[in-house]
Amino acid sequence: MTALPAPAAPPPVPAPRRLAPLRRAVRASPLITAGGAIALLIVLAALAAPLLAPYPADAGSATHPEIALHAPSLRHLFGTDQVGRDVFSRVLYGARVSPLVALFVLLIACAVGIPLGVAAGYFGGVLDEIIMRVTDVFLAFPPLLLALAFATVLPASLTSLTIAIAITWWPWYTRLVRGQAASVAGRPYVEACRALGIQRWRILLRHVLPNSVTPVIVQVSLDVGGVILTASALSFLGLGAQDPTPDWGLMVAEGENYFTTQWWLVTYPGLAILLTALAFNLLGDGLRDVLDPRWVPGVRER
Amino acid sequence: MNRHHTWAAAAAAALVLSLAACGGSASPPSTQQTAASEVFTYDTTAPVMVDGWDPATEYSDGIIAMSEMYETLTRYDPATHAVGPLLATSWTSADAGRTWTFHLRHGVVFHTGRPMTAQAARAAILRTIKLGGGAAYIWGAVKTIGTPDPYTLVFHLSYASPLALQASADYSAYIYDTQAGGGSALATWLNAGHDAGTGPYTAQTWNKGQEFEVTLKEFPQYWGGWSGPHYGKVVYRVVPQDTTAAQLLRSGQVTFVEQINPSLWSSFKGDSGVTLVSSPSWQNLLGQLNVKRLSLPLRQAISYAIDYQGIIAALQGAGVVSSGIVPPGLFGHFGDLPGYSYDKAKAAALLGQAGYGPGRKPLSLSLTYTQGDSNEQVVATIIKSDLAALNVNLSVQSLAWPTQWAKGKSSDAAQHQDIFMEYWWPDYADPYSWFTNLLQTENPPYFNLSYYSNASLDRMINQVEPLVATDKPAAGQLYRNMQVTILQQAPMLFLYNANYQYAMLSGISGFRVNPAYPNVVFVYSLKP
Repeated sequence: MTALPAPAAPPPVPAPRRLAPLRRAVRASPLITAGGAIALLIVLAALAAPLLAPYPADAGSATHPEIALHAPSLRHLFGTDQVGRDVFSRVLYGARVSPLVALFVLLIACAVGIPLGVAAGYFGGVLDEIIMRVTDVFLAFPPLLLALAFATVLPASLTSLTIAIAITWWPWYTRLVRGQAASVAGRPYVEACRALGIQRWRILLRHVLPNSVTPVIVQVSLDVGGVILTASALSFLGLGAQDPTPDWGLMVAEGENYFTTQWWLVTYPGLAILLTALAFNLLGDGLRDVLDPRWVPGVRER
Repeated sequence: MNRHHTWAAAAAAALVLSLAACGGSASPPSTQQTAASEVFTYDTTAPVMVDGWDPATEYSDGIIAMSEMYETLTRYDPATHAVGPLLATSWTSADAGRTWTFHLRHGVVFHTGRPMTAQAARAAILRTIKLGGGAAYIWGAVKTIGTPDPYTLVFHLSYASPLALQASADYSAYIYDTQAGGGSALATWLNAGHDAGTGPYTAQTWNKGQEFEVTLKEFPQYWGGWSGPHYGKVVYRVVPQDTTAAQLLRSGQVTFVEQINPSLWSSFKGDSGVTLVSSPSWQNLLGQLNVKRLSLPLRQAISYAIDYQGIIAALQGAGVVSSGIVPPGLFGHFGDLPGYSYDKAKAAALLGQAGYGPGRKPLSLSLTYTQGDSNEQVVATIIKSDLAALNVNLSVQSLAWPTQWAKGKSSDAAQHQDIFMEYWWPDYADPYSWFTNLLQTENPPYFNLSYYSNASLDRMINQVEPLVATDKPAAGQLYRNMQVTILQQAPMLFLYNANYQYAMLSGISGFRVNPAYPNVVFVYSLKP
């Protein structure tokens, strides 16, 4: 990088220096540690589901109606559902569904939102106005409501669910990145690049983009939980995954009518949603603190 | 919402999502302020209580409320297996079942205030025939209707027909005042939530799409009188969640719950405040197989591929295995028909004949069922599982009934499903409705969503109705032959016969299940 000294704004922070505050944060905040540990466990459960699940076929199309609605036991740790499937196996495999939806939603949101935000922030003018007004239209609606509207018109499936949520998610990234990009675009080292005659796309890709996405890392980690909750809510309403997909939201929906008599049908997938959303939000919150230059270990501002 | 501070909100939302399963209900309206002993609250988990108020054309769950407002000439009695008097006190048939004379009850008044006479009854039946909706086919044999005096109706038929039985039908047999509504069109007036019947109750309020959808109040001039204990008001409450319905019953906020899942129903056992009623119904769950897409071996393969006993096990008492199309207890039922049972090897062999099955190319099929019915959902999941084991990929779609039906009867064959799952029950105490509605050649399709056409079966269907009136044993044999044909041709799956599982508050006497009128309570006969 050929950045000149910039007294008005701090220079981009080199990556190695971030590890030290991260280590300090982990030491200082048990919540971050807990969030990270739970998130890691969920990822491991998802990866090792075929090894851990006692009845892997139950996460697919297998049914065993003769053992329907059996209570939790050593044979079926989380009991069986209305068609005799092992709830523990399905909850384990569910870790492969909701987090994956979150991953794809956030990938799409970033792929669309970041370039638009960078372009709006760097070029400004009419392009900025057009992009930001379109963004404002999307932001005017609550994300869940907008996703619900899109999911209703699309055929119920995981793909439709992912698309419906991604459509509502990208504007947040555009707005976030646009502010950063606008700030970076005015910095002396970028102006120096322009003065040296470096091509626009190179300035954008090499200088503006890398220095604008730091807040996105925090936002993504915070949004994992939000997307999982939204996806689960839409699946609960029958607009997402379809049986026999072991989606947690769908499992809660299917167990709804058995809640008072067979509590295990709703409780375990509900707890999985709760834990996953909580873990990623704790993690995101911690990361935000760590990457905030004003953050001091032990002093938390709210 | 500040998305940077969402962890607490996220946790709360997850909890809410889990707790959403508990369901919820709005505050009861003022109707609940009346003394509980006088108000009968009927709880249904169906999405709507009444979707059409015209007694001539209503052909769905609307009869649950309509049967309290309207009456028919006769009513089927499950105890005697015969029809008994209602608006007609007696009847005779002559000319080998081609002439029927009904003597009407005196002193019956419509809710509009006009007297129920032979002329008024004739006008109602003629209007129903003219509109041709619902089960108007029950009057198909009627050539002319005479009214020799104000209390006598004489039907002249073009062919013999069991008219006294058909006059007891749960659809299109209601006698109503065609002069109701003043100058406005009768259908428009009715569909605004009015009624023009002679029954013990009359419409008071209708809140379309609301939880407290319909309220009926007693009709003071009812011919049966109001002496003795009776409910004075009937409230129909739509509660889609089974768990909420069960809680409402436990807390005494509803009197009767029409349908809850078997597990919840069983949870009331031992509860002294609740009476459980379990009774065989004449309602069965069918899967109509698209014969335009599925060859005979494929249809037979699917019929063999389903674990019927597994379905019964999962339903935990809410159903029994079917034998043919006609449920037990109804004329035309035979327990020894050559039906299908779960036989994976046979199914695989038949699939193999068509080039599909395990180790061969996969077969993809689609199934639609009605959204919100937990039993249908369970059955669909089991069918999908059974077919998957045979390399058949079943795509299951749950749709709101209007969408499911519109898709099934669409003029665009590409919209059609491979398996259409629905309940069916008779229009009167005879199996004719299954055959004429679901299996007789139809173009365009209406309820024959197998798109099945068999000239030989069509002939048998046309023959059976007169035979029921003139030669019942021969009619029974013909129904048997028709069912054997259907089982050989396999245009539909007979998934199970439903058992009614009602739950109601204890201390109410006079309740009798009448399978000829599905889920109808006949509140007037109850003693609170």
